Formats: sequence, structure tokens, C-alpha cells
Amino acid sequence: MDKMKIINKRYIALLCSAALVVGAGCSSSFLDEEDPSNIAPETFFKTPEDAETAVRGAYENFRFHGDGAGIFSANFQMLDALSGTAETETGQNSDLNNLYSYQYTGDNLHLQQWWQQCYEGIANANLSIERIPAIPAITEADALKWIGQAKFLRAFYYFWVVQLWGDVPLLTRPIYAWNDADVNAVRTSTQQVYDLIVKDLTDAEAAGFSDTDGTGLASKIAVKSLLAKVYLTMAGYPLSKGASYYQLAADKAKEVVDYSVANPSKVGLFTSYDDLHDPAKRNQMENIFQIQYSPGIANANYQTFFLPNNTNITASGEVGTTVPTTGFLATYEAGDKRTMEKGFYFKQYYLDGGTGAPTTLNRFYIYKHFDVIANGRAAIGDQPAIVGTGNSGLNYPLILFSDVLLTYAEAQNELGLNAGAYAGLKLIRDRAGLTTPDIGTFNQSSFRTAVWAERWHELSYVGITWFDMIRLRKVYDVASKTFVDFLGAEVNGAVLQEKHYLLPLPAADYRNNPNLAPNNPGW
Amino acid sequence: MQITLPKLLKFMSQQCLMIIILQVMSMQLLIAEHVVGQNLKTTKVTAKIQRKRIEEIFKVIEKKTDYVFVFPSEVKDEDDTYSFNFANESLDNVLRRLRQASRLKFQVIDYTITAAADPTAAPKPVSIRKEVPAAIRVSGTITDAGDNARLPGVNILVKGTTLGTSTDGNGAYTLDVPDESAVLVYSFIGYQSREITVGTQTVIDVAMEQDVTSLQEIVVVGYGTQKKSDLTGSVGTVKAEDIQERQLPSVSQALAGRVAGVNVSVNSGRPGGQSNVRIRGFSSISTSNNPLYVVDGVIMPVGTQTDGSYSLNNAIDNINPADIASMEILKDASATAIYGARGANGVILITTKRGSTSGSKISYDMQLSVPTIGPNRVEMLDAQQFLDVEQLGWDNIKYYDAAGWNPTGGPNGTGSHSSGREDPQDSRSKMGPGAGIYALFDANGNPLYNTDWFKESTQNKLSQNHQLSVTGGNADNSYGVYLGFRDDNGLLLNSFMKRYSGRFVMDSQVKSWLKIGGSLGYNYQEENIVDFGTGGLNSVRMITEALPILPVKYSNGIYSHNKNYSPSIEGGRNPVDQLLNNTYNLISRTTLGNMYANIKLAEGLELRSTVGLNILERERQRYDSRPAPQTPTYVNSPNERGTARLRSERETFWSFENYLTYTKRFADIHALTAMVGQSAQETNIFWFQQSSRNFISDFFQVNNMGAAQDFAVDSPPVSSGKARFAFSSYFGRINYGLKDKYLVTVTGRFDGSSKFGAANKYAFFPSAALAWRISEEPFLKGNRVLSNLKLRTSYGLTGNSEISTYSALPTLRIVTSVFSNSRVSGVATNRLGNPDLKWEKTAQSDIGLEIGLFQNRIAIEADVYYRRTTDMLLSAPLPVTSGYGTITRNVGTMENKGLEFTVTTTNVENNDFSWRTTFNISMNRNKVLKLANPAPIFGVGNPNFTNQTGVIMEGQPVGSFWGLNRLGTWGSDEAAEAAKFGVNTYRGTNKPLLPGDVKYLDVDGNYAINDNDRMIIGNGNPKSYGSFINNLQYKAFDLVLDLQYSYGNDVLNMTMHSGEDRTGLANSYASVLNAWTETNEGGEIAAVRDSKAGYVSNVDTHWIEDGSFLRGRNLVVGYTLPSNVVERIHLSRARVYVSTQNFFLATKFSGNDPEVSTYTNPFAQGQTFFDYPKPTTYMFGISVGL
Repeated sequence: MDKMKIINKRYIALLCSAALVVGAGCSSSFLDEEDPSNIAPETFFKTPEDAETAVRGAYENFRFHGDGAGIFSANFQMLDALSGTAETETGQNSDLNNLYSYQYTGDNLHLQQWWQQCYEGIANANLSIERIPAIPAITEADALKWIGQAKFLRAFYYFWVVQLWGDVPLLTRPIYAWNDADVNAVRTSTQQVYDLIVKDLTDAEAAGFSDTDGTGLASKIAVKSLLAKVYLTMAGYPLSKGASYYQLAADKAKEVVDYSVANPSKVGLFTSYDDLHDPAKRNQMENIFQIQYSPGIANANYQTFFLPNNTNITASGEVGTTVPTTGFLATYEAGDKRTMEKGFYFKQYYLDGGTGAPTTLNRFYIYKHFDVIANGRAAIGDQPAIVGTGNSGLNYPLILFSDVLLTYAEAQNELGLNAGAYAGLKLIRDRAGLTTPDIGTFNQSSFRTAVWAERWHELSYVGITWFDMIRLRKVYDVASKTFVDFLGAEVNGAVLQEKHYLLPLPAADYRNNPNLAPNNPGW
Repeated sequence: MQITLPKLLKFMSQQCLMIIILQVMSMQLLIAEHVVGQNLKTTKVTAKIQRKRIEEIFKVIEKKTDYVFVFPSEVKDEDDTYSFNFANESLDNVLRRLRQASRLKFQVIDYTITAAADPTAAPKPVSIRKEVPAAIRVSGTITDAGDNARLPGVNILVKGTTLGTSTDGNGAYTLDVPDESAVLVYSFIGYQSREITVGTQTVIDVAMEQDVTSLQEIVVVGYGTQKKSDLTGSVGTVKAEDIQERQLPSVSQALAGRVAGVNVSVNSGRPGGQSNVRIRGFSSISTSNNPLYVVDGVIMPVGTQTDGSYSLNNAIDNINPADIASMEILKDASATAIYGARGANGVILITTKRGSTSGSKISYDMQLSVPTIGPNRVEMLDAQQFLDVEQLGWDNIKYYDAAGWNPTGGPNGTGSHSSGREDPQDSRSKMGPGAGIYALFDANGNPLYNTDWFKESTQNKLSQNHQLSVTGGNADNSYGVYLGFRDDNGLLLNSFMKRYSGRFVMDSQVKSWLKIGGSLGYNYQEENIVDFGTGGLNSVRMITEALPILPVKYSNGIYSHNKNYSPSIEGGRNPVDQLLNNTYNLISRTTLGNMYANIKLAEGLELRSTVGLNILERERQRYDSRPAPQTPTYVNSPNERGTARLRSERETFWSFENYLTYTKRFADIHALTAMVGQSAQETNIFWFQQSSRNFISDFFQVNNMGAAQDFAVDSPPVSSGKARFAFSSYFGRINYGLKDKYLVTVTGRFDGSSKFGAANKYAFFPSAALAWRISEEPFLKGNRVLSNLKLRTSYGLTGNSEISTYSALPTLRIVTSVFSNSRVSGVATNRLGNPDLKWEKTAQSDIGLEIGLFQNRIAIEADVYYRRTTDMLLSAPLPVTSGYGTITRNVGTMENKGLEFTVTTTNVENNDFSWRTTFNISMNRNKVLKLANPAPIFGVGNPNFTNQTGVIMEGQPVGSFWGLNRLGTWGSDEAAEAAKFGVNTYRGTNKPLLPGDVKYLDVDGNYAINDNDRMIIGNGNPKSYGSFINNLQYKAFDLVLDLQYSYGNDVLNMTMHSGEDRTGLANSYASVLNAWTETNEGGEIAAVRDSKAGYVSNVDTHWIEDGSFLRGRNLVVGYTLPSNVVERIHLSRARVYVSTQNFFLATKFSGNDPEVSTYTNPFAQGQTFFDYPKPTTYMFGISVGL
């Protein structure tokens, strides 16, 4: 019996030892890992369609624009706040307040998120640009097209970054390792950044895009329009390239204008201001390039910030943190359709979440971005009431044909006022129901300020005005309705200084990347 | 005192502290010899026995050894005779041979060997009762002097004879003694022996005192057990009776305050609500700081289960606390290093209750309880106060937003504001009697309602808890069935937690060399989390923000809504509407099982093999119902017509562990235990979720999600994910004791984890510890005052691996792009790879001192420690120009140092009255020594509220709050200075600072308040914390008074944002009545003005409150029914008690409770933004045994 036990024991000991060994033997593959829910860069980029998929990823970054920046605010509001044409109805977001009052620092959340999100877009574009050529079986035309799309996006993001911060790190390839030397990137001169932007856009122009694109991809017209804006900006501050770049800007803008003349059903001004914020008019005519939203899929959450604070006139949230200043609204000429009810602005709507009795608000709010489908509307005449969905899918415009017209008018005027330049200005004013003095009554200087003023009035609250201010180093003084120098200009009580030409570098990166020092002048 | 080990083991079993079953068995049965103590082995017997009866053989052995035999009369084996030739045989061998021959078994207690019939022996008539001529028959009952529980198995011996017996299952005995001079010796492991002269007594009931020498406790350590006296590490123990005292739904709550160095913050009053457990501070910045839980050797999932920013519960919260026999908290590196890479946050070992080794037992516990509003509550404005404040806010618009004020606007020409905010008088006039059912004011403009929303939102509903256990078996085979049902109704309406639990345990000594056993438990738990939706206008927030002038419901049954009063009021459904009509059911199903086999391979050498399994299935069923209409004619938009969300997760864990233990004592002075083992563990996780919206009715909830009309709720509307991680480990430990005085422990674990980079899968975690039992030295031994003195010290490394799976791998992510107004998938950069990713290591040194005075009536344990975490795993910020925000890297160093002190005293101890006190205090100081980058880290470990709420900064402790310094308010005499801030201020454009505005410290003196003026303004971690617990017993009555305290912890009370900074949008705290006015200057609260007139809200020092508190955590009064009453109802014991939990709270904190945290982020302790209020609970309980 004892013997049996010993045998048993030995047998079991053997078994257990075997188990130990097996356990150990398994362990080499036992600890391997592969993420089953996320694809690795090395396993992607295998089929021709992957090129398009990667480019779409870089498009998605645009939506940061409407994403939140603390309580009651979104990133895009930074540009409107700095323009001096807006104010807020609630003081609860101190980052936003500090933008309105020009008391921001590098810690400002909006500013940090602009920086980060633009560079994420650039990283995604770089990934496509590097990887697409190596995709097996991709046609040359497809590769050219999708790389061109990625370059357009890269140029777009860099254009934002360089205007806001000046000399910035210029990354042109993706980073795969955290100890890559480019993680602590050095700053590159503004000139070199613009060189890349121009190069990328020139490449994109030749990449075989369709003339216009209803799906939301960049079209050839979009590339040319952006290039015209880039040249115009390069002509002004800080590069001050002057005439040759006004020429480039005028030429490029004119290509778009000429296309519009030849294809009036594809590119041109909308006849009604309502079309500017009609979801059905996405990616067409005046909307040359937009941030793409779709209700329920990618909601246009920016909507709420334009709506009057807690008035219960819509089915959307009503935050009222970008509200036109009465001073700016007063600068529009009398009879301007844009300032008439539900032109660019509104003060009448409906109670009970948008479908009830009419009500008149105490001031005007922005109607340019008003999504009737999301916000709702009472019955008007034989038009039935629309119960608001609360979900907006309204695209946000990044390039407008009106901007191209005025770009052409401004650039051409610097070279010599001509009929084409005059026509551009007049188209805009005609739509606003304004009379425009004859071309002969203008000289270069008066036409210049007329175009500038038109830019302020036509391109209000679409993120353009601040870039005009720093490009021209001029501020539209709402009291005198004249343009005054940026330096020393008083905007909403604050006096602009030299440091305001550029934003301070975002604090986290500035502290974490020793190569970024020194900060922008004055910060 | 070498016989103390078996004595002790018996004590353990009596206390349900059965740990390693083998050892318990071997104590019971001599046959499993190796644990029984060296004496049986070292005592040699040489004797030649020729046909002697068993009693005579005993006498022979008694003469040759120090042992005495007890031979209960009923098992006397009078006829059989035996022959043996013992040649220098060890006593245990002798007993084994006797057992085989006689069919008796033996129990050894001290130097007493009790014989008993062996039921497992072959059916041979071996027991024939022999009548002994006896003068007196004595009977009686033996009870525990502490809890009056009857004690089975107590040995009773007539001194100087072999006459004796032991008590039966009910603690009763009967024994015939020769004469009145007989002295009965009552002995039982874990109790002080008693001697009683029979005299004229025929009934002798004895209440036995527990042996307070807690030194001899056995404690569970990783992969083994140790005598407490042999411990070299810092280990705290919580026993079943401590858990029983509190009757709380979660393990972590049961743990609170029991062990120094273990900080349990119970941060929610929700039944089973969220708590944070921190052992000796923080070891990590971005990975989990939760301890590792090991239940019967099965490791539970670590990490916090969250839903976005909302805490759910940890896997451990799904364990029924009533199933727990003991919890051991391993604190220092010597104790935790055996868990290597997972030990850095401390380890909590949970041993569940096992079967019975001494016959069948049934026990039943029941509690009924009712929650009521807790000791402190925040006060809101009542109806009239709200109206006054609103009016004041309107009146002040003209001062605080002069630019937006039109003095002649408005319907009455009394002035208007650019925002369209109307004169409250106008809103009120619209809501007068003319509004019919919806009227809020009478004809005179007085409010019709004055609703206390806190009161309306609470319920005092009966909760019940039933625990039934049936255990049975004998020394060889035992089983237990544990059933539980718990139905907790929380303080807030509709809030509940139900738990059904069942568990079966079995242990069997199959062969003398093989023991197997296991347990299988299943828990079903369902909770309605009524306070979900943190940050939004959720139920707990609306208790503060709902307007007191509104009714709960109108007479037509429609719920009120804040917008009913005026469109200017921010929305928000009233809390009662939310509580009753929204649901968030969290259903958890936990299957926890393990099987083990103990195989004795040779003398002192044992192999234990364990298979563990833990399957956690969790389902979240969330339904947001239609809100009440904002106006009588309001039509809900499609996205307000019901939203259903369903999420299902399955987490499957298995482990397979094998370890060999070798125990040997050499030359009587060297004690060696060596253990070596291997472990493999794997976890697989899969989850999916879906959502839909716009239902024709609120009827369906999540039960017919296809009935919805809209499936584009979340983007994407369906999602799923899968992850796997695995560990492969080898470990070993050597315990060596010299003369039981000088103790050494050396531990090492070689751990491999799949989560790390290819080059760094494995790492080694060693530790070493020394202890010196000074009281065993000759110069102290037998000292009357100093009964125990031990000095121990340890050093070791442990790790933390709780980072997300796949952090070492570079991946792309799928993003939702939109083209042509529809969804198309894109890929985007997601994560940088880090092949160098490795363990986070914490080096810890500890010095501990244990002192026992007056036979340990005063026991003191003190520890100081220093922990230094290096290679800290951190989602380290990268320069974002790289395209990546963070990289999981091993960077950074952090230290914790602290002091723990526990004193336990037996103040009074006699038959009728005893009083024991436990006091503990812990102090921990934390500091971040080094980070990846010099920049302070925001947004990691802390929520972002209106601003960043916390910061991680070199040289500063984690848990530091970040904000502005509010100096007070600008006074009338400071108008000129305030004006220097210009017209554009932090209040907004054209809003200059005026008297009555908040005055912040302008650190850089540039007359602008911005991020440069923010600083560290507080810390959520206490300077010290602990408990003061008193246990009193007077005759059949017992009383527990359990006090908890915390000192020096700040609370960042972000509810002030709602309560003070939103006048005109919602209801406010009553504190705004003390806001700045021209006649009440100097306060901290700015002059009331409508929020549209520039009312700033910043995280600042005004929101920081002293969160120190003293809480009456638990008060229990119990009564144990006398045995004659109990017997009459055929029970073995019965106790009834009443208790109240959270019955008082002394604090300066202005909110409901300063022990609070709303957020899941690791350093968000003390950051509150509306939490489930903690109730005061009254309870009645019964505990009976059969």
C-alpha cells in the first residue's frame, strides 16, 4: 500500500513537472500581442483603396474647428473673438473671455487645440504622402490624385499655423518613433513654410482633381482658390512680397472667376443668402470648400454658439458666445440686405423651441450659420412648421467664392484697378442690394479700402477677418468706419500691440520642446 | 511554546479563518503529520508492547513522553489488545500505527492527545461503552466569553487521569467524574485553559476566554500562510467579524478604516457606490493606483471600470462581503513582491469561507435597513429667497453690464438688457392665475409652491439582506453552501442594488497525500445608477438647480421643468422626473471559481496546483426618457423622444499556478520554508454597444431597440472591441528562522507581461526582509510587562503593469469622415509604438515595530516606509507638432513616505464586561520628483472643469488642485484700483471690474487675470486619517462604536459653480444670500447679477474647502439571546442587533459630505461636482445558528 502511494506520488510529481515545463514552453508566444481592434501602419496601405481611406482620415481633422474648448465654447470662436466683431453673452469660459479681451497666454485652451489639431492633420497628411506611393497595384493617376489631396490638406493646415504663429516647425514626413529627432522639432522660417504650402498646392493643382466636387473633396477650383489666398497673404505681412505676389494672387483668383463665368451653374454667388446655410447646398457654387458634417454622423456642434443664450427659440442648445457687436453691425450701409432680418443676421424667431409664437429678440444674432432643420421653424404661410431635430449637419465654409472675388479685386487693384476687379466688388454689393459708385469714382486707395470694408462685411464670422487684420496690419474702426493701423488700434477697449501680430506658442509645447525658444516677440 | 501552532490552527478554524485547508486538516488529524508541530516528530518512543489494551498502551506512552491521553468513555475500546514494537519511533508514527490498528483517530492539543472514533475507518465494532464506577455525572455548555457562541470540540479532562470528553456540536458535554475533588481541565485551541473543581456542582457551564495572544495568528501571505509572529513584512488583517459588523454591500467599504495605511474613500452614497482604495499613497501617475485583489488565489481584474468620466464599480465590488472569511492587506515590498509586477499598489488577499470540519451547521443572517438624509445637507434657496435673488440679479444688470443695458427698453420702459433677459416681474406675471394648471404664482404674485428638491428626491425605503449558509463535513471532507440575497434601496428615488449570490465550496482529503478542493461562486448584481451623467444637468445636480417655485408635478400629472418659469432659466429636467423616468441599469454577472490539489510529495514537501477562473459579464442598459415639456405647447424634438443605449462586456480570466513548498526544521533551531512556483494567466475582453433613439413611446426602454426611428445617435451607432493580455511568471520565496528569533524572508518573482515591448517582456522583482523577535531573547523572555517586541525591516521592488493593452504597438485608428453627407471610414494616426516599454518599478523600504504589553493587552504596531517609483509609466506629453499628444513611456519618479500606527488595547476584561479599543492613524506624503518633460502636466489624472482643476508638477504632490487665488471681492473704496484692469477683463468685453466683483490675486501685476495667475491652491489627500473603534461587551449585550476621521484633506467644491455662479439661470445655494452688497462688503461671493451680465466662474481658492472630518461611521448595539431561550427554539445561537451608519459628521465642509469624488481620474479625490448624497442608515439585524 505504501508502495502504491509512492508510485502515485511520483507519477503525479512527474505530471506536475511536465505541466511546469509546458507552461514555460508556451510562454514565448503566450506573451505576444496583436491589437485585434486597430490596424497597424505596417498592415495597412496594401490595396489601392487604402489611399483614399488614409486621405479621408486627414480630412476628419478639420472637424476640430467646431469641437469644444471648455465650457460654452468651441475652437473656431478664437478667430471670431480676436476679430473684435463679436462678444459673448455669458462670461463663464475664462479662456474665451481672455481671447475677447486680448489677455490670452500660451496656456489658452483654444490656442493650444488649434496648434495640436492642425499638426495632427499635418501628420495624417504626411502619412498618406509617404505611404501611398508604396501601395502595390495603385495606378499612377490614383497615386497622384490622393497624394495631391493630402498635399492640399497639408497646405491648408500649414496655412492656418503659419498665419497664427509665424515661424513654426515644418514636418513633412510622418513620425513613427517617440525618440525621432523631429519630435523636438525646430522652428522653420515663415518663408520656408510658405514655400512648402505653395509647392503642395501647385502639386495638388496638377494632380488631376475634378473642377468641382460635390462630395466634399478638394476640387481643382478649391486648390486654385486657396492658392490665390496664399499668394495674397504672402503679398502682405509678414513676408510683404508685394506686387509680384499680388500678381500671382490675381492671376490665380482670376482663373476661378473665369471658370465661374464659363460655368455659372457650378461656381458662383448664391442668389439668396439662405443658400449659404442650406444643408442641401453643400459643396456647390459659393461653397467652394467646406468642413463636412452630417446629422447624427458628425454633428455640427458649432451651431449652438451662435444662438442667443437661453431664449428657447430653437431645438438646439443656445449658448450665445459668438454674438455680433452692435458697433460692428452699425457699420453696414443703410439698406444692406445682409443686415436685414434673416440676411446674415436675425432678431426675430419663434418661441417654444422654434415652432411657437413669433418673438423679437433684443439684438441681432448670426443667421449665416443657422440650420433651420436642426433648430426648427414655425409654419410660415403655406410652408409647414419644421420641428427641429437638434442635430445639425450644416457644413462650415472654409473657402467661399465671395472671398475669391474679393481676393481678385484686392490683388488686381494693387496692380491697377480694372473692370474685372471692379466687377468682383460689384457682384457682392449688388447681391446686398447696394449701389456701387462707378469705377471711375475710385482711385487705388479708395478702391482698396472699399474692398477691405466689403471683406469685413461680407466675410464676417467665417474665420477670415482676423487673418485679414494681421495680413494687412489694419483694423476696421467701427466708430469712424475707417481702417486704422493695427498697432495702437483700440478694439473693444483693448489696445493692440506688436505682440498681437502672432499668437504665443502653446505653453505645453513651448515648455516641452526646448527647440521652440525663443517665443514669438512680446510673449 | 512549540505546541502553539496546532493550537492556533484550531483557533483559526473556530474563527472561520480557515486558510490553507491542508493545514487545518492536519491539525485535526494526526495522520497529516508535518504541520502538527515538531514535537510529535521529535518525541521518540521506544517500547515493546505485548497484547495490551489501548488504554494501557496510552499509559506506557504517557510515561515515556510529556503527553497525556484523553480517552472519552464512549469510545473505549475495551476488548481489543494490540502488540507493537516501537524502536525509537517518532510519536506521530506511533499514533499513525495505533490509528491503523485501532480505528481510532487522534487530536493533539497542547500536550493532550484526544482519541476519537474514526468514522472513515472500516466498519468494525471498535467502540464499546464501558461503565466506569462514577460518583458524579457532570454536564454543561461551553461558550465563547466574547460572543457567547457555543464551542464544539472543547476538550474536558479530569486532571491527572485519562478520563475526558469533548463538547458536541452545540457546545454541550456530559462527563462522569470519580468524586467531588475531581478537577476538570477545559482546553481549546485559541482559548485560555480553565480548571474547575467539581465540588457539588452537576452543571458546569464555562465561558472560555479567547487567548488574546494574537501573536499566534496565522495570516495568509501570497502563495502560502505564515504565523503572524514569523512575519517579516507589513500585513494587515480584517476578519469576518469585522466585516459582519458593518453589513455593507461592497468589500472596499468593509475594508475602510480597518488597517493603517489603507485609505478607503467611499465617495458616493449610492448602494454599492464607488470607492477608492489606496494603499500607502500613489505609485503611479497614469496607470491604476488600485490594489491587486486576489480571491482564494484567483487574481481579480485590476483597474477602474468606468463609463466615460463616470465611475462604475471594480470587479471586487461584485463579491459578496458576507462570503469573506478574512482579508489580508499586504503593504510592504517583502509581502507584495511575490506578486511582482502587479504588487506596487499593495495586494489584498481575500479568503472566502469554507465548509465545516465539525459537523453540520446552518447559519442565517438578516438585516433590514432604511436610509435617511445624512447628518449634513447643503441648503438651497427657498421659493421666496430664489425670487428675491433673481430680482436682485436683474436689478444689478445695469451696473455690471452697463454696455448691454438700455434704460428705456423693455415692454414697460423700465430698462432692458441686450441679451433679451426679461424683467422677472414680467415672467412672473405670465405665470400667474392666468396660466391655469401651470400657474406658479397667485394673484398677488406670491409663489404657489416651495419645493425642497432634496427631500422630494429621496426615499426612505426598506432594504433587506439575507445570508444563509449550510456547512458540513468532518476533518477529511467538508463542504459549504453560501447563499445571499441583498436588496438595497438607496436614498435617492428609484436607486437600488440587488445582488443574488451563491457559492459552493468543497475540500476533501482524498488520500493521505492528496487533498483537493475548490469553490464555485456566481453573483448576479443589478444596480440602477441614478446619478449618471456627471457634468450635465443630471439628477443630483438638479437637486440644487431645480427652481423651488416649481411643483414636482402639476395637477395634470405633468412633471415641471425649469423652463416652465422662464426661457431665460437654463434647461434641466427636475430631479424627480429624472430619477423616476430615466434608468441606467448596470447588471454584472460574476462567475468565480477555483480548484486546487495539494499533493504531499515527501516529508515536508508539498505541491499545490490551482486553476482559477473569473468571468465577469457586464451589461449597461441605459434609457433616457422624454423630458417634461419646456412650455405647455412644447413639442419634443426627435432627439428628445427617448434614447436607448446598450453595452455588453465580457472579461474572461483564467490562471494556472503551481508551486512547491518545502518546510523543514533542522536541529530544532533552524526553521526553513522554501517555495518555488510558476504562474500563467490570461485575460480576454470583448465588448459591444449599440444605441437608438426616437421611440413612439417610453414603454420599450432597451427591450426593443429596433422599435426606434433613428439609429444615428452615437457616431458610430454600433461599436465593439477586443483585447487580450497575459502574464507568465516564476516566483520563489525562502523563509528562514533561527531559534524563532531571527527571521529572514527572501522573495523573487520573474514576471512576464504581454503588454510590454518585445525587448522588455520580463522583469525580476526581488525583496528581502529581516525581523528580530527581541522578546524571545533571554533578557526579555518572560518579562511581565513586555510580552512581545519585534523589529522588522524590508526592502524590495514591485511593479505596476496596469497600462492599456497594446500600448507598445503603433496603430492607426478608424475615424468617421463625411463625404456626400454620409459616413465613410478613414484611418488616422493613433498611437506611437514604444518597443522599449517596460514595467514601472516601485522600490519600497519599511521598518516596523511591534510591541505587546501586559500579555498583549496593549498591542502596538508602527511602520515607517519610503516608496520610490521609477520608470513611471506615463502617457507622457509629446510636443504635439509630432502629430501625437502623448506616448506611453517609462519616465518620471515619484516618492511616498509615510507612517502607520495602530494600537489595540483591552481596557477591561472580565466575565461580565469587556472593552477593547483600536485606534489607527496613517500619514502619507507624496511628491513627484521627476517628469518626462519640464512642463507641468494638465489634463492627466484630473478632470477639466471650467478650467484645469489639477496639475502634476515636479516637486509637488499629485492630487494638487490648480486655480486662481480669490482674495475676496472688490470693495467700494477700491473702485479706482479695480478700474485699472480696463474695460475688457476676465469678465468679458466691456465689462470692467467694479466693486462687488470677484477680486483675484494678480500674480504678475499686469492688470489682467489669466493663466499666469493660476497656482496650486490645495490638495485632496489627507495629512492623516484613520479610525477609532471601540468594542464593548456587557453580559449578553455588545456595542461597537466605529469612528472615522480624516485631517488636512482639501475639497475642490466645484458645485459652487452651480450653486453660486449661476444666479438667474437656476436655483442657487443659500450662501448667495451673503453675497456682496454695498452694505455687506468684504465677503467672497460677488454681487449677485444675472449670469448674462458677466458672472465669472473659475476654479479658485473660494472653491477649496477644508475637508477634515470626524464621522460616526457605525454604531451597533447587539444582544445575544441566553442559551436556554435559544435552545427552546432549537437554535445554537441567536443575536439581534440594531445599528446606525454615518450617524454623525463633524466638518467645516459646506456641502453634504467631504469624503467625496465625482471623477474617475486617479487624482480627482476631493473634486466634487454633485454626487450621490450619503445617507444615515438605520438597521435591524438578526443572526442565528443551527
